[in-house]
Amino acid sequence: MVSDLLLTPIIQHIVLAYTALLVSIALGIPLAILALYSRNLQTFVMTSANLMQAVPTLAVVAIVVPLIGIGFWPAIVAIILRALLPIIRNTWIGLSSVDPAIIASAEGLGLSEWEIIRYVRLPNAYPAIFAGVKFAAILANSVAILTAMIGSGGLGSLVFEGLAGVNMMKMLSGALPAIGIALFLDASFSWMERRMVPRSGQSELE
Amino acid sequence: MVLDEIAAVWINYNLTERTIEHLWIFSIALIAAIIVGVLIGLLIYRRRRYAPPVFSSLNAIETFPDIALLVLLIPLVGIGTVPTIIACVLYSILPIARNTYTGLISVSPELLEVGRAMGLSERFILLKVRFPLAFPMIAGGIRIAIVFTMGIVTLGGIFGAGGLGAPLQTGINLIRPDIIFVAGIWVGILAVILDGIAGGIEASLKRRFGSW
Amino acid sequence: MTKRFGETVAVDRISLDIIGGELLILIGGSGSGKTTTLRMINRLIEPDEGTIAINGIDIRTIDGIVLRKNIGYVIQQIGLFPHMTIRENIGLLPTIEGWSREEIDSRVTELLTLVHLPPDQFMDRYPKELSGGQQQRVGLARALVMNPPLLLMDEPFGALDPLLRRQLQDEFIGIKEDIGKTIVFVTHDINEAFRLGDRIAIMHEGGIVQLGTPRDLILNPADKMVSDLVGSDRLFEHIASLTVSDMMVPASSIISGEMPVQSAIEVMVQSGSTVAVVRDRAASFFVAQLPTLLQRRDEVKTVLEATDPPFFLSMDASLLSALEEMKAASASFGLVMEDGEPAGLLLPDDLISRLV
Ligand SMILES: Nc1ncnc2c1ncn2[C@@H]1O[C@H](COP(=O)(O)OP(=O)(O)OP(=O)(O)O)[C@@H](O)[C@H]1O
Ligand SMILES: [Mg+2]
Repeated sequence: MVSDLLLTPIIQHIVLAYTALLVSIALGIPLAILALYSRNLQTFVMTSANLMQAVPTLAVVAIVVPLIGIGFWPAIVAIILRALLPIIRNTWIGLSSVDPAIIASAEGLGLSEWEIIRYVRLPNAYPAIFAGVKFAAILANSVAILTAMIGSGGLGSLVFEGLAGVNMMKMLSGALPAIGIALFLDASFSWMERRMVPRSGQSELE
Repeated sequence: MVLDEIAAVWINYNLTERTIEHLWIFSIALIAAIIVGVLIGLLIYRRRRYAPPVFSSLNAIETFPDIALLVLLIPLVGIGTVPTIIACVLYSILPIARNTYTGLISVSPELLEVGRAMGLSERFILLKVRFPLAFPMIAGGIRIAIVFTMGIVTLGGIFGAGGLGAPLQTGINLIRPDIIFVAGIWVGILAVILDGIAGGIEASLKRRFGSW
Repeated sequence: MTKRFGETVAVDRISLDIIGGELLILIGGSGSGKTTTLRMINRLIEPDEGTIAINGIDIRTIDGIVLRKNIGYVIQQIGLFPHMTIRENIGLLPTIEGWSREEIDSRVTELLTLVHLPPDQFMDRYPKELSGGQQQRVGLARALVMNPPLLLMDEPFGALDPLLRRQLQDEFIGIKEDIGKTIVFVTHDINEAFRLGDRIAIMHEGGIVQLGTPRDLILNPADKMVSDLVGSDRLFEHIASLTVSDMMVPASSIISGEMPVQSAIEVMVQSGSTVAVVRDRAASFFVAQLPTLLQRRDEVKTVLEATDPPFFLSMDASLLSALEEMKAASASFGLVMEDGEPAGLLLPDDLISRLV
């Protein structure tokens, strides 16, 4: 009974958070790569990423409402606005922190721009990208609760209904699964991180 | 006129009082977080073996969704300003304590060697060498804490803490673009300014205390 | 004394007498135990076996902090505190000791002048605003601030480029005379060792292979390693092709045997020589040494009475055989003759420092 009541919000929550996360990855990594090749784009992307990072989540979620309304898709947009930043930032840092000598020697080998990204820069950036995705996943999990305020449904709905009706059990039934998901995410990302370590940072050219 | 609309929202929703309230909660939370965070960093520095368990528990708290943490605090301290401040501190301890600890232990060994060779006491080295050299790191941690704290104080508005989160909640509930824009952009600007100031302080500390 | 770190024996039963006022060099390959030896002297670490005594007092009976405040320490990485100005760095110990601001300022000024840094320019700068060589000078000044009788220096010039290193060595030779301290100086650089050291201890795998003056090491290397290190072979190859005339110091003036001792001393001091040729009435030659003259100036009247019979050498003799003969006769200098007239002096000590 209880599990039935909880199942729908949990699924809604996961769909919400992880649709947004996947879109953020799909947008963020290419944007970071493009930023490598355009100084203007780089300045724009990095500056806005840094500024946006400081803005309170509630403000971001609120401002989405007058711009695109309420419901599932506006909620997705709000989550993306948060989750995109750490991904772009970390990817860009990972891509651009390759030793210039290695880039020069790859160019010397006759690799094209794209091949350098594929075989030199990206492998170098994997650990940073991974850390960015981990951070974004936990952030998405958190923001997806707040977006219930703008009608996304999910675990947040239980919290806000509970808050309005002073129903502690209802609030906890929204909060505890979300905490569980967070801890699970953290543990599984850490586990993957440990498994990746021996290979991380090694260029496939070597 | 846009300006008239802004002024109307500003006055009708008491944004001056809300801002003062907001910054007041923010300051208390931040100061508490700095005190607790630096102390924990220092304690762990003195008892290194506690570092792994303390950091992994703080790390776990860090992953909690902020709203879920505020919910967990309701049975303990209810809603309002107090749980908001507690949540701010809980989230901010990790960056401050971790950076304090890292700053204290990452002083270059030759400085410590020279300090000891000069006959400086461990206590003197801690207070007059390790601490000042850790300042830029600690400032970096505080800067992260400022962003967290700003976010959670705003969120506290929906848990009865007041501040600028309260008008935002009203705006969302009533679907009132004017309130949302004015309060949302204003709190965003405040956050960016505070972060910018913190960044400036951090950079100047780095210049002053950073190694060469 | 002996020091182990787990399995490694960093310092292996070494025994060392350091003479007050000397500059003792510790030289040896990486990991030979030089730094470990220094760190035991100021009790940054304690030996596992053996004792260290300063002026007959076992250092274990002295409080570590008090001991270290009385021993200057300079290291290659310098270790100036980056958050303190030069004045604060040098004045740190005096501040702790409660000196007044004026006392500290005047001491800092004095020391910066000693190490050739204009005080008004450097006092209030931060370490990162100084070049490596300037930082190392400040490091030395800081070590000297409490006027410690003993100075430990661990490759102080090791990180500097050769030109700057040479310049600092030159300056340091001057400073060393001024401050008159006992110094233990670690280096990798044999030339530095010869330039600065009164005595040199060669370390290898935690032990002292040989301890002696530069001259001892070159002329009597204990083993192949020492001779390789000091380059005796190279030196000997070079020496083998030389004659006495190549290396002698020309006899600038010849003093008459009747000259009063006091005047002879003045003449020698003025010309900056410590050895002079003396001619008696019968046109025989003798040699006068400045230290002997100074010692005996109250007992004797004329120079002649305080001279030594010379060890004669001819201009075209091979330098090597000349040195060997001198050593056999334990003569500390030779008088080089040409056509019955003194042409110059051969001074082995001076010769070695010139060859190296
Ligand atoms: N704190 C330590 N812990 C473990 N081993 C040490 C420690 N200090 C020195 N050792 C070891 O003791 C040996 C001697 O080291 P030491 O630093 O005295 O050498 P060194 O002669 O100063 O060498 P270098 O010229 O490279 O400075 C080395 O094998 C070193 O690895
Ligand atoms: Mg060493």
